[in-house]
Amino acid sequence: MERESVCVLGGGSTKYGKLDDSISDITLQASVGAIESAGIEPKEIEAGYISNVFGVADKQVHLGPVVMSNLGISECPSLSIESACGSGSVSFREAFANVAAGFYDAVLVTGTEKVTHTGTDWTTTYFSYCSDFFYEGQAGASFPGLFASMARAYLHEFDATEEDLASVAVKNHENGVLNPKAHLRKKISIDDVMDSAVVASPLKLYDCCPFSDGASSVILCNEKFAKEHSKDYVKVIGSGRGGSPAALQGREQLTTIPSTRIAAEAAYKMAGITAKDVDFAEVHDCFTVAEVVDSEDLGFFEKGTGATAARNGDTKLNGSISINPSGGLKSKGHPIGATGVGQVVEAFEQLTGKSGERTVNDAKIGLTQNFGATGASCAVHIFQSV
Amino acid sequence: MQFTYSKVCKLSAKPEFIEAAKSGNILARKCAKCSEILLATVYYCKSCGSKEFGDTILKGTGKVVTYTIMTVPPAGFEDLAPYAWVVMELDDSGIRVSGFLAKIPTPEDLPIGTPVKVTGFDERGIVLEKL
Repeated sequence: MERESVCVLGGGSTKYGKLDDSISDITLQASVGAIESAGIEPKEIEAGYISNVFGVADKQVHLGPVVMSNLGISECPSLSIESACGSGSVSFREAFANVAAGFYDAVLVTGTEKVTHTGTDWTTTYFSYCSDFFYEGQAGASFPGLFASMARAYLHEFDATEEDLASVAVKNHENGVLNPKAHLRKKISIDDVMDSAVVASPLKLYDCCPFSDGASSVILCNEKFAKEHSKDYVKVIGSGRGGSPAALQGREQLTTIPSTRIAAEAAYKMAGITAKDVDFAEVHDCFTVAEVVDSEDLGFFEKGTGATAARNGDTKLNGSISINPSGGLKSKGHPIGATGVGQVVEAFEQLTGKSGERTVNDAKIGLTQNFGATGASCAVHIFQSV
Repeated sequence: MQFTYSKVCKLSAKPEFIEAAKSGNILARKCAKCSEILLATVYYCKSCGSKEFGDTILKGTGKVVTYTIMTVPPAGFEDLAPYAWVVMELDDSGIRVSGFLAKIPTPEDLPIGTPVKVTGFDERGIVLEKL
């Protein structure tokens, strides 16, 4: 089948963090940002894809029609997509597929989340519903606990230390300081991480990303539409999705995430490239160990060497592969329905010269990887500058 | 439309799974076609796609594969903290299940490979103890 060439034409984000505005307000703010960045009129949008998990916590689900109405395009069709922390990338994939298939010339993809007002206890409880609840959440495993179990398996199996994991947090905070929209803009040291309170051993507070509010949005369109509107667009050259057993107990190995490997293989194949061709990657670092595992599953490092690579600085901004130049989930923040779209905004800004101090030098190809829960679902996308 | 379910297994076996765990066992299913063993909450065989199974009761003893110590307990687990949430591998079958193990203060108290057993299922999940 001949596919339309699909492009990201514009991107917008609210600041990530603890926000006062309502979920419908921040969803609108990010959407307007994307529309104005793209230089299009709302009436040119043919469909809206909204990714969100806990709208119910801020008394608004069915966000699509609310946003469309406030954009003056109430007759434009829209839908909401939930896939836990991977909602944004999955929604982006569905939008991509529809533009690629020629159903639409241009669509709005907005991810959004508003949870911090519910408090840490409730947010932790809500998040646990994203696990295979019967075996995990209900049986006492919080998300830090699930990733801590993966971290212990990783540290047991490979030559890696808790300090190596901490170096991921230190690096992402370094990048986040350069990102005006990041949630935690604070430089930290290895000692800060090691001395922070143990949440679920071996993970400590600074190994964990924060709970964040925030919204991110992009305009996705075919290349003809893009060319008619702006010079600042990037091509989506690869898209892949994958799945894993929902519960950790169903996986033969706990130091790899099958859905990432499956999604990455599909995305690399579509793009006709390998991991070596990627200049930077926005990966799903909900916990430090996740970034290490991701960096291996995406093919940047051999299995078991990702922690060493992080310790050696290979993943720093303008290192051998810049990982999470935005600051990642760890520092930029993790509004779970928005995160996957926020990664695309970062890729768009990096490849169109809009990322200021955190720019990856001479970047031509960027990759985004965002998963749901412990990687039970995942989407990987690859972007190229024009 | 009439769906045809397996005559051998219930579509949802959670109540039976819970009952078995209360007796220290794990309810599993053995595929009649390829002999793959799966937890009873699965309805199609992941290896061959068949849904013809025979029930198999597995003894709930095995070894710790990985775990965490939950120092910040979620709601409903305050009474157990610090407790371990554990993925264990059952002896013989290689099937993995997860549950919680109360009063584990430090990692030294539960090295990977420690023998553990299923001792029950309370309103939360599988209860484990060290052997």
